[in-house]
Amino acid sequence: MSTDINVRGWGAVTTLGWSAPESAKNLIEGKVLPAKAGEVSHLISPEFKSFAVPYDGDPLSKSQKMLEAALDEAIERAGLSHAEIAESSLFVGTTGGLFIRNEYEFTEEVRRHPGKESPPISCRNRGPGEVTQVIAGKYGIKGMTFTLSMACVSSSHALVVAANLLEQKKINRAIVFGFEPLLNLTLHGFASLLLCDYDQCRPFCATRSGMQIGEGAGAVILERGDKARHAKNLYKFAGGYLFNDNSSLTSGGLDGELVKEVVARTLSLSRVSASEIVAIKAHGTGTKDNDLSEGLGLLKVFGEKLPPVVSLKGALGHALGAAGAMETAVWLSCLEKGVIPKSFGFSQMDEEIGFAPSQENNVACNGAYLCTFFGFGATCSSYLIIKE
Amino acid sequence: MSALEQNIFNSPLPVVAAGYVGPSLIPNEEAPWDEMNLPLKTDELVQKVMGQPMRRAGRFIKLVCCGALSCLRDVPKEKLAGKKVGIFLSTGLGNVDEILPFITQVFKHDGGFPSPNQFANSVSNAAAFFLAREAGVKGVVLTISEEELSFESSLWLAQTYLESAQIDLALVGGCDVFTPTVAESRERMNLTPDNSRLLPVGEGSSWLLLGGSKENNIGEILAVQFAPLEKDVSPVNSLPGMETKEKYFLPGFRVKEEQIDIWKNKNNWQIHDYLPHCGIHPVAAAFGIAHALRSKKAGYFLHHNHNASGRQAFVLAVTK
Repeated sequence: MSTDINVRGWGAVTTLGWSAPESAKNLIEGKVLPAKAGEVSHLISPEFKSFAVPYDGDPLSKSQKMLEAALDEAIERAGLSHAEIAESSLFVGTTGGLFIRNEYEFTEEVRRHPGKESPPISCRNRGPGEVTQVIAGKYGIKGMTFTLSMACVSSSHALVVAANLLEQKKINRAIVFGFEPLLNLTLHGFASLLLCDYDQCRPFCATRSGMQIGEGAGAVILERGDKARHAKNLYKFAGGYLFNDNSSLTSGGLDGELVKEVVARTLSLSRVSASEIVAIKAHGTGTKDNDLSEGLGLLKVFGEKLPPVVSLKGALGHALGAAGAMETAVWLSCLEKGVIPKSFGFSQMDEEIGFAPSQENNVACNGAYLCTFFGFGATCSSYLIIKE
Repeated sequence: MSALEQNIFNSPLPVVAAGYVGPSLIPNEEAPWDEMNLPLKTDELVQKVMGQPMRRAGRFIKLVCCGALSCLRDVPKEKLAGKKVGIFLSTGLGNVDEILPFITQVFKHDGGFPSPNQFANSVSNAAAFFLAREAGVKGVVLTISEEELSFESSLWLAQTYLESAQIDLALVGGCDVFTPTVAESRERMNLTPDNSRLLPVGEGSSWLLLGGSKENNIGEILAVQFAPLEKDVSPVNSLPGMETKEKYFLPGFRVKEEQIDIWKNKNNWQIHDYLPHCGIHPVAAAFGIAHALRSKKAGYFLHHNHNASGRQAFVLAVTK
């Protein structure tokens, strides 16, 4: 396989825990709770269930702590020195950025003055790039900084862009971060598009009817092999590929052809054959269209030799811009524990898709693991995580 | 030799075309405008540039498309045929003009009656999707948001994709729209009298088509350099032909008048002051560079701006 990009560290905060290992442990042990409504103070709908990160405190301070916890975990695991942090480049994927501040301030203002006419909600944050500047300033990162605000593929695209630049030797090290607190904006937005399931998220299931939003933060640190401090690196990143179709804003095509082309390209770039893939961490949102097109696409590539397919969204929710980095970090911790987790939310095969996601934990042997992400704007990203 | 000069691209980026739409909404023209009258309606602009209305799109998406197509309209079709084109859309604030009405409806009606179309469009890369569809582009389509250094970041990234031949041409642009009120717009951009020039708030969608061969281009991007604000990376006098070529300095909106005077009086660079034509907006650098490249002035152009967090960016270009 063709790669010289090491995964040096990772960290995550999810609904299952305040670290990637804790999230992975709960996932593997099946300690997965369903999404709930009405548990986060700034969310106004009693109907929309979501996967919230557990926290005793206000949602604004929670979002700040999520940001720090995921990054601190990744940096500590990587053992980065101050000098190494300073020379790193930062890639952030986020949809909402710091919009949590606007929503929290507005709902607090309404709560403090019940019965008064609500003030208009303002948009005081400085755009998605503000998150990146906050991180760069706080951690002393002096390298290049990029913020990709591209909905569901924001941080998976950020990983691919970062890997590209590492391969070209334009940068030495990339801190890739995904960040997405729960927002009324996105909860109501996806509900208005009839893309949400009010009951449960059921990736690839015949009874699926939509996604459920989750919140989280994830960080993955990539480094060029020639810059590695450690003699032996256990995890590598390979085959990163991003592609934008232009046929439909909300769908990648139901025949699976687009998914097939994207996955095939990833395998080609990394010089890994389909038969070498140990398991697939699929996008698997629980929507009718995504799971059909992704499922058919995977079957076109792998045929009858389809390896275990896992969606994490039945357990973590869809963390939108954070999904790429967050799910990759949790996946890495699962691999570290030697386990490919099962896929939650599934109960009945959809004959149109033609396979069931993995319903039991499997042993995570060394080898290549495919990760896929698809999003609004007909965006696709996929890559391999290689366990050595 | 300065750090900027040391980092001049091994292969300068040919600029095939440049185009812009400023607050007056007249493509590729300087036209009077007034902050008090913003935002102007886009119907006429869209009809003129695209030939038909864009009914399901808000101002941000319309301006992204119209600005980019204003850049592409002078490019012969054969220059694009069979080429892999990448789109790099930069925006500081994104689609605020659709996010705000959407979330206002959500809170006003306790979650009822928000527009699904408005939400779908409010996601920043929706605009890039619409542009990709208009321009017939598939493949590399990225939306980058880095506050007031968004365009420079996009330019730097596009250069790496061109250098590695992942794409043949790069359509790189910046768009930010004015959203009322002026005071809120200024707050969103973190503008104070101490950290920015005293100019009106504006808007713009400004684009460059980069790549291809050196023949028939209108100029070249020589370097894009980022540095901490305290580091002096500005060019000295070792650029080729500097003694005979004109030199134009393009000050960004955080470059104070005293610094502009230094460039003019001490460094002997002429000032190409583009900001009065477009007003302050996060990606005004895109307007400035496109405006300069279309100005028919021959010489070196150096754009400089910095963000409020202590990071600066230079873009060095040359025209024939």
